[in-house]
Amino acid sequence: MKKIMLLLTVLLSIFTLAACGEEDDGRIEITVGMWPQPYLSEDVEMFEEWKRLFEADYPEYEIVPDPYTYSVDTFFPMAQSGTQPTIFQTWFTEPAKLIRNQFVRDISDEMEELGWYDKMDPYMKETLTFDGELYGVPRDAYGLGLVLNLNVLAEAGIVDDWDGDGVYDIHDADGNPRYPTTFEELADMSENITNTMDQYYDRDVAGMMVLSSNNNGGWQFSNMAWNFGAELQVQDSNGNWQANLDDPGAVATLEWIKEMRWEREALPESSSLSYGDWYNYIGTDRVAMAIAGNDALALPVTNFGMDKDNLAFVPIPEGPGGEQYSLFGGTPYMFSSHASDEQVLGALRFLEYMGRSPETTDISEQSMTLGRRTAEAKGMPILPELNPWDGEEYEAMVNRVDQQFINVNMDNFDPFYNSIESIRKTEAPHYSQEMYEILDSVIQQVLTNPDANPSALLSSANNTFQTQYMNDVND
Amino acid sequence: MNGSKLKRFLKKNLGGWLIMLPSILLFIFFIWGPLLSNISLSFFESIGYDRGAFTGFENYREVFADPVFSKAFFNTLKYTFWSLLLGFGIPIILALLLSELVHAKGFFRSAIYFPNIIPGLATILLWTFLFDPSQGGVLNAILDIFNLGPFPWLNDPDLAIPLIVLTMTWKGAGATTLIYLASLQNVSDVYYEAARIDGASLWQRIRHVTLPHLIPTVKTLFILQIIMVFQVFYEPLVMTDGGPNNASISLLQLIYRYAFQQGNAAKAAALGVLVALMLFALTFAYLKITNRGKKTS
Repeated sequence: MKKIMLLLTVLLSIFTLAACGEEDDGRIEITVGMWPQPYLSEDVEMFEEWKRLFEADYPEYEIVPDPYTYSVDTFFPMAQSGTQPTIFQTWFTEPAKLIRNQFVRDISDEMEELGWYDKMDPYMKETLTFDGELYGVPRDAYGLGLVLNLNVLAEAGIVDDWDGDGVYDIHDADGNPRYPTTFEELADMSENITNTMDQYYDRDVAGMMVLSSNNNGGWQFSNMAWNFGAELQVQDSNGNWQANLDDPGAVATLEWIKEMRWEREALPESSSLSYGDWYNYIGTDRVAMAIAGNDALALPVTNFGMDKDNLAFVPIPEGPGGEQYSLFGGTPYMFSSHASDEQVLGALRFLEYMGRSPETTDISEQSMTLGRRTAEAKGMPILPELNPWDGEEYEAMVNRVDQQFINVNMDNFDPFYNSIESIRKTEAPHYSQEMYEILDSVIQQVLTNPDANPSALLSSANNTFQTQYMNDVND
Repeated sequence: MNGSKLKRFLKKNLGGWLIMLPSILLFIFFIWGPLLSNISLSFFESIGYDRGAFTGFENYREVFADPVFSKAFFNTLKYTFWSLLLGFGIPIILALLLSELVHAKGFFRSAIYFPNIIPGLATILLWTFLFDPSQGGVLNAILDIFNLGPFPWLNDPDLAIPLIVLTMTWKGAGATTLIYLASLQNVSDVYYEAARIDGASLWQRIRHVTLPHLIPTVKTLFILQIIMVFQVFYEPLVMTDGGPNNASISLLQLIYRYAFQQGNAAKAAALGVLVALMLFALTFAYLKITNRGKKTS
């Protein structure tokens, strides 16, 4: 027995010593979760270049590639064992949940130290700030808008190549918009497209699509409801937050969806579409118009081989009262709760070498250029990004880079980019994901039951949301 | 226990305990440990999977207050009901048919088992394509030739569960059929010969010889099927995401939603305990009923 114990002790000591040896060069390790997967060789090369430049300037740091694609199933177990990357990219839906479970850390002090805190776009900062503490850095910003499939719109006789440059135009020869600018026009146009495609081409093409699962339905619904004049969460005279899902504007939005589905028959048959579906449907010409964020416009091209010139992007139409908004958010980089201050500082500085910081240094511009060049080599449509950082110098630098690479006809995207500053709006402040989940369910009922009563459904949903979640806000 | 008794105990049993030790450690690590920590977590607030503040029955209260819970509960009962209605008889019938076959028995046996070797997710995706509610969906396209449809299939809240059960039956029936077939082949030919000599018809032979021999297997598979279907999870997750409007969400999928989509491990743990209790109750009731049956007979 003694011999066995002795053997075990020796073995344990060897393992312990071996484990200690990994950190022997004294450099501070930063594991980078947004490192691309090995099969994306062009992206990996680009990251390798960024790593090389960074480590040359900051020899005290070591960038450790840790390719990780965020998913809810894998992140929790990984974070529980403390092995989440120092910095990683997550979805815009996740921060509240990750903070509640203490998997990510506050980076306010480090952001102050680098002088980045006040440079962040205030809307972005608001969405990443919880209880006064800043938890993330936006990779880029997005606003929701209406994607148009110009191939389908041309087949339906709505758009044409009026200026003869080989690309369909969303403004006719007189400069009038050929895309919907009100919800009424959106409904008419969708119905028209569906009918035309059915009658003349014998093809099953929906004019428009409405999402209804994975919380994506509620997310997009809230933007549509704003345009119909609704506010989904309001403060009463005592300052208490109240659910307001049964706002007349929200009811009108749901009525509109119901009419689109059952009277105009202009939506796809499926009642459980999520964000992953829009670029599939648009990319394969099965739908003419869909709501999406400007940061995702490359997806139908990269995933379904759609011609980038057949895409156009305009604001979500205005509602009956003339109101028009674009839900504005961002894909965040977040930081492991196990990361030290030095690691966070290093990870933030590495963002400069990825062209994702507010810095306007040569290296920043060089990295941003490399990013665009790689995207260009992959055949992606290159569009302006919505800047998550403020500052004239910064904007000038971004414009300089953009001018070299933009490869689409901007006339078909300007309606969105020219209006986003004035129509952007951040999502409802409390339990937004839970609210979206409840709204998903309401939309699904309307999409599956021609006799559904939108007013009653929203009233019951409002009650559920208030008692289950909103009461907690006021406690 | 004093020193000498302990020594004697060790001397007598040490070998046995040492042999069992690896299994016990594995059980503690992989089964009993997680089980107990799940039960304990359900009474606390969770931070990740760690226990935060003690909250008593708060998580259970929240689960009961969630309108989706009652929906998931009744849906799970519906899954069980439909699986018994659609899925329970089919393997027995298939086994009887197979056992009566003279030619190509091997082929049919393999053919029936074939869906079992297809990975679960592939089966689900295959059937999801078949049930695509658009005009281009496989079934709708076929029915369109006969001027029927298009049907909403999984989009119809009343059809979602039966169709998911149909998919599960298609995949799972083969394995159960083989179990019944094995049990049928254990029935000695003597009984059939005796029955034939007595002039029994095919139906009478099935009724009086085959079925009585099958009953013990039927009983076992009955409770196993209930326990298995009660834990239906990935089929609705992939085929409908629990929709439309939670019409096909199961209890286990709700646990998944709590744990991962909402990031609330404690609430998920509480529902896990509740599902375990339900299964305990079902199994207990089943054992009671079958034991009573044995005693009276």
